[in-house]
Amino acid sequence: MSAKRTHWHGYLFVAPATVYLVVFSLVPMAVAAYLSLHHWPLLGKERWFVGLANYAQALGDPFFRGAFWNTVVFAALAVPLGLVSSLAVAVLVNQRLRGVTVFRTLYYVPAVSSGVAVSMVWIWIFLPHDGLINTVLKWLGGAGDVDFLGDPSLALPALVLMSLWMGLGPRMVIFLAGLQGIPHSLYESAEIDGAGPWQRFRHITLPMLVPTTFFVLVTSTISAFQLFTQVYVMTKGGPRRATDVVVYHIYKEAWHKFAIGSASAQSYILLAVIVAISVLQFRLMRRRLREAAEQW
Amino acid sequence: MRRAAWIIVMLVLAVTVALAVWAHRAGRGGEGGTIVLRVANWGGPGVDPSLMRIEREIREAFERRHGNVRVQVENIPGAGQYVPKLLMMYVAGNPPDVIMLDASSAAVFIDNDLLVDLAPLIAADASFRLDAYFPNVVDIARRGEALYAIPGDFTPMVMMYNKRLFREAGVPLPRPGWTRQEFLEAARALTVHEPGRPVPTRYGFKFENWMPGWLPWIWAAGGDVLSPDGRHAVGYLDSPQTIETIRFLVDLVRQHRVAPSLSETAAAGVDLFRDGRAAMTLTGHWSLVEYRVDQMDVGVAGIPGDGRHVTVMYEAGAAISRASPHRDLAWDYITYRSSAAVQAKMLATGVAISAHREVARSFAGTEVEDAFLAEVPYARRPWGAAVERYELVEDLGREMIEDILSGGVDVEAAARRTAALVEAELGRP
Repeated sequence: MSAKRTHWHGYLFVAPATVYLVVFSLVPMAVAAYLSLHHWPLLGKERWFVGLANYAQALGDPFFRGAFWNTVVFAALAVPLGLVSSLAVAVLVNQRLRGVTVFRTLYYVPAVSSGVAVSMVWIWIFLPHDGLINTVLKWLGGAGDVDFLGDPSLALPALVLMSLWMGLGPRMVIFLAGLQGIPHSLYESAEIDGAGPWQRFRHITLPMLVPTTFFVLVTSTISAFQLFTQVYVMTKGGPRRATDVVVYHIYKEAWHKFAIGSASAQSYILLAVIVAISVLQFRLMRRRLREAAEQW
Repeated sequence: MRRAAWIIVMLVLAVTVALAVWAHRAGRGGEGGTIVLRVANWGGPGVDPSLMRIEREIREAFERRHGNVRVQVENIPGAGQYVPKLLMMYVAGNPPDVIMLDASSAAVFIDNDLLVDLAPLIAADASFRLDAYFPNVVDIARRGEALYAIPGDFTPMVMMYNKRLFREAGVPLPRPGWTRQEFLEAARALTVHEPGRPVPTRYGFKFENWMPGWLPWIWAAGGDVLSPDGRHAVGYLDSPQTIETIRFLVDLVRQHRVAPSLSETAAAGVDLFRDGRAAMTLTGHWSLVEYRVDQMDVGVAGIPGDGRHVTVMYEAGAAISRASPHRDLAWDYITYRSSAAVQAKMLATGVAISAHREVARSFAGTEVEDAFLAEVPYARRPWGAAVERYELVEDLGREMIEDILSGGVDVEAAARRTAALVEAELGRP
């Protein structure tokens, strides 16, 4: 009887979150799936079933494919670099040093800052001639006239750099939690066996962090594919569509062309790609995850 | 146990929905029989505080005139967010009663039948005189005999110049009817290159990749971006006059170096004209508010052309949602807001010109205001007032300039490609 009561209360606790999930995620997803199969202007009254035509149109649209390619390039740069940089910082702030909590806080500050405000600050940092980066380049003897956001070959890497800084804190906190969960006795045993710092990192830290790394990898990949705020505020998809990423492309399809049906289809294509990549990541990591579980 | 879980989730869902319905009804009805008149505006934190204060005083005065009415202003701040959020209100079946209609996006609301035709209300209201307003400003929201908004304030786009910089450079001030050649010579003389600096320390003209800023140049050359019915771009956006004008504008940046590059302008972080780093800029009356704060000595001239006197104007009108249950009250509010007394109070901030002719003339008598008023007869409505999906034309236009300035694409090739893209987009159902 008491066990039943405990369960009853448990359901009561999860009910608001379940309702939220149903109302604001599952129902809109179902509606979007329906819309994606229709010619559906935002306001027009003429709406009709088009089957998969919106999907075919999106896949045949060179601008949509271009936006997808930009997104893939962004993710291919931002995800691995983000993993490495945040793991490195997590290892650094995991040391027993005076004032280390200050560093942890500082690294986490970008995560609690407004994306729009941070984007405005980075516009200044990337300024040609007088921006922070160009000023440093001038000190180092360079010309200091790099047009980061105006040069089509540099605009996307510039957004990657900014995203690394923005995502550093959350990823670092997760890695830090993973690092602090590794039993200290393993390091002590390794030290007694004569293992150096690199060997301890390579053969203890990295294997023990596999589940954490996998979590960060999957969530970072999903975030990278959903890049929007920085593009909306800083580049508007330019210069020359060099930063036109999928979510921004979908936004323009919906709010500049008012084509809700094709915008929904593009959203579902993005969803399919994200799911496919996540499944692939699961499969590739399954063996390592099993090994990590056995080690635990 | 599973059944219990379902019952709980369904109960919470039912309570949530009931609360939402109750909140919606409470919001519409007000308390104690009070009628709530919802007014959408693009105000918010970025708006001049004095204008916000005047808006509040006007609202309160209207409420005093109607004992049981509360005017609920729903500000939608953020450039580019006003139209999407307002449209979502319509899609959700919860539009405001009155909306401030921006001329640059008016067609979205008019052509989708979201607004009340005000012509019958005007005909039935003997106290309201439409001829008190500038006729070309009124026509922005007209479709045949139907009229969908009463104009409030507006501004023609003009060439604003820094008189101090002209004097210091010994450059004669622009004369009425000045030509492109005269403009170019002035811009050259006003551009300052300093030894050791990679870019000019001051530019003659602040060029922006902002279509409203270069459209009047095209009109002044006899070209356009769309056909008169707004359905075609081929033959217009790639016409010889349009191509020649685009070439003239981009050459200000790449050949003559009298205007900053796109990234220099976009990334400057400040208004180069206001900062004294550009001597001329194409802008509207709203800029004067800040320039006056800085005590800048500015002058106003028309768009340089070769015989054609034309510009574009941007306007804010007031319209009534077709779904509004308070149509008469909304009309009362609109006519009150557009009345001479209220307009005089609002436009004292200097943010725009009143569409009410008498009020506009009451501010005349200064060199700047007279120059603005002189442009009014030559001001055309923006394309966004006539073409629903004009924003995508502006997107593609912006990309065309990027192709030319950042990608080195030939002007004619870029114009032809953009015209074809616009044509295809406008032809989509």
